[in-house]
Amino acid sequence: MSQTASNLFETLRQKFGQQVQSIRAEREDEFYILLSDSDIRPITDYLLGEFDARLVTVFAEDRRAAENVFYNYYVFEQRGSPQYLIVRAPVCANMPEFPSLSAELPSVNWQEREIQDWFGLKAVGHPNPRRVALHDNWPEVYPLRKDFALETVLPEFEGERHIYRRALGKGVFQIPVGPVHAGIIEPGHFNFAVAGEPILYLQLRMFYTHKGTEKLFEKLPVHRGVFLAESISGDSSFSHGTAFCQAVERAAGVEVPERALIMRVVLLELERICNHVGDIGAIVNDVGFVVANCHAGRLKEALVTLNEHMTGSRLLKGMACIGGVRRGWDVAQLDTLLKSLDWFEKEFKDLVSLIDSSDSTRDRLEQTGVLWPEKAKDLGIIGVGGRASGIDLDVRRDHPYAAYSRFPFRVPVYQAGDVLRRMQVRIEEVGESISIIRRAAEESFQGEFRVPVPVIPADRCAVGSVEGWRGEIIHWIRTGPDNHLQRCKIKDPSINNWPALVEAVQGNIVPDFPVINKSFNLSYSGTDR
Amino acid sequence: MIQVIANSGLQLLVLLLVAPLFSGIIKTLKARLQTRRGPCVFQFYRDLLKLFRKGMVIPETASWIFSGAPYVYFTTAILVGLMIPMTTTYAPFSLFGGVLAVIYLLAFGRFFLALGGLDTGSSFGGLGSSREMTISAIAEPAMMLALFTVALGANSTNLSEMAGAAVSQSWRFLAPSQMLAFAAVFIVLIAETGRIPVDNPATHLELTMIHEAMILEYSGLYLALIEWGASIRQLVLMTLLVNTFFPYGLSSEQTLFAAGMGLCFYFAKVLLLAVFIVLIETTNAKLRLFRVPELLMVAFILGALALISTFLF
Repeated sequence: MSQTASNLFETLRQKFGQQVQSIRAEREDEFYILLSDSDIRPITDYLLGEFDARLVTVFAEDRRAAENVFYNYYVFEQRGSPQYLIVRAPVCANMPEFPSLSAELPSVNWQEREIQDWFGLKAVGHPNPRRVALHDNWPEVYPLRKDFALETVLPEFEGERHIYRRALGKGVFQIPVGPVHAGIIEPGHFNFAVAGEPILYLQLRMFYTHKGTEKLFEKLPVHRGVFLAESISGDSSFSHGTAFCQAVERAAGVEVPERALIMRVVLLELERICNHVGDIGAIVNDVGFVVANCHAGRLKEALVTLNEHMTGSRLLKGMACIGGVRRGWDVAQLDTLLKSLDWFEKEFKDLVSLIDSSDSTRDRLEQTGVLWPEKAKDLGIIGVGGRASGIDLDVRRDHPYAAYSRFPFRVPVYQAGDVLRRMQVRIEEVGESISIIRRAAEESFQGEFRVPVPVIPADRCAVGSVEGWRGEIIHWIRTGPDNHLQRCKIKDPSINNWPALVEAVQGNIVPDFPVINKSFNLSYSGTDR
Repeated sequence: MIQVIANSGLQLLVLLLVAPLFSGIIKTLKARLQTRRGPCVFQFYRDLLKLFRKGMVIPETASWIFSGAPYVYFTTAILVGLMIPMTTTYAPFSLFGGVLAVIYLLAFGRFFLALGGLDTGSSFGGLGSSREMTISAIAEPAMMLALFTVALGANSTNLSEMAGAAVSQSWRFLAPSQMLAFAAVFIVLIAETGRIPVDNPATHLELTMIHEAMILEYSGLYLALIEWGASIRQLVLMTLLVNTFFPYGLSSEQTLFAAGMGLCFYFAKVLLLAVFIVLIETTNAKLRLFRVPELLMVAFILGALALISTFLF
């Protein structure tokens, strides 16, 4: 049920009067609602309630130079509609405060605190307003404000480190794990409070690899921004790259040729298959069923080799490009793609039946790390973790991009929310992805795969969204002069989903934590940026 | 007399030098079944050599227990190894004790290793030690019951005499009591050697470890002693299993020829057992930690049934 801008404006005006200043339809699926003040709460209640909307992401922008205000952006999506409703709420530069939504909507907990840390806007009424994105020992600086130069060198940090909540009680211990882990993974600190083996409470600390990526985007010419977008989270390089390109293309009004759209679908699905197979192997490996992992590793190797054959990069890097894709495919490559896919499908079936035949594996995975659907809804969990817990969201279907509207597919959704279902969602998605690629490969691969991109007009806003293999990836940009960006907001699905881990491990035993963590397999780099 | 000394020396050498080979063989076989090439079977020796040459990092909070535990663990493994007949029915240290001594010396070594894990005060060491003790609390009585079953048949708890009695009645292992006892000891073997489905010897996930978690703080010489000791313990338990239940090739004579023949039979039997262990490890996932005691309870009940059935059949 798509709305027209004028209809929506009438409705909101009646309800909220002068607080709703204007509604602008930047594109038919992207409306901007301008408020007169920073009080977002009434309109949020209304949108979530009457409109059955979901708050996708929250972020801020420093517009003091042009308009002498900060803006907070609240991106909503409506069930069954491809529209994004983006509410812009000004935050006064003299009194940098805005009302927090986190008490009612835990899904924006971290994102509101990011605004606090990066812009120095205070989230009033936030239940836990401590630092999150910048660690506690950072000095009082707000790196995403325009008056903070990218080249600033901060003095050695001296302040106090983060103090974890203490867990007290007879026989209650705290186990600190990380931030440096055994094995080649990224840094993150897990602080378990345990009574014997059962976990009472888990505290997470991320942002050890905060790199100021969003700030860096403001300094790069747009075409080089694509490469930066590709390295936000290495395993989702094409998804992030595509989300970024889509945002820029929408801002500039670039029409991407059909052939490129189909190639994007193929590449996005290749990325999904590749990572899902790796995850399936990693999950069974963590319960000690090593044989299946070895086979999964073998299949994944074949897939990254295929990636290399198709794009020159095992991780699909360097393929995303504004205005299309960077290289085309010849007939021989498409032939290899289909042949490899046939081989893979057969081998993958064998792998799945190997896992299914292992009772001891099923015993470990079933009812382990349960994330109840109500909790998942409250926390705003998305992607694979969400779909295993009854959250029926998929950007490919809900906001069709590239050529997805031409290849209908099934979105697997389960209610049980345990490790087994998260694995099952992956297994079924691999099947769907194979079918999408097959259908896409039958399409015509004639014509241009890339159009020249004119100079990007300044001061345009646009959102780009992609269903990465982890879940919903959002890039929001405001363009500036000289082919540069004023602001680029990146939302990796991991930032929504880390709190899910806290819920899912509760009541489980310590040795089951690794497999629960692996079943979400969240990105540290994508969270930290 | 000379031959007795020669046999004892041979047994000691096998324990010290061949035990790491069987660890290597198991590792390589597992890798092959996982479609990997895996390390060379002699890798374990190189690792030991490397560790012996390395310096040690000893936690500031550690006491003498931390330093003593590796020696106790290693020495008890050797002592137990010499109490069990290997190539002939004669065991060099059979004079010093039988089944009970074997079980308690193994427990003593494990107890000290658990203390060593606790001693540094690190959370993982404590985690590992508490898990190890939970498991061994049930594993020990299960093994005791099973071995008593065999001892009853031989009218002795001395392992040499038990082996001798077994040799004289070569089809005895088909008796229900023997089969039940064998199953019980096999489960204990899996648990004691830290193999799937009880523990995963190849994991890097410190949160899931049992044996490895206890020894996380150890390095250099101490770690080498523990790793070496663990591989000797593994061979000792495998020896106990094959020679108590299938004493083929064990000769009651103390000649060089008998010892040589015995050695060949012994290696063949242990190798067969190793293959069996590898198959179990490859086809199973690890049990959830809280279900490990259930598995060991099965071993305990099997042991009890074995003991009862000796009186019934």
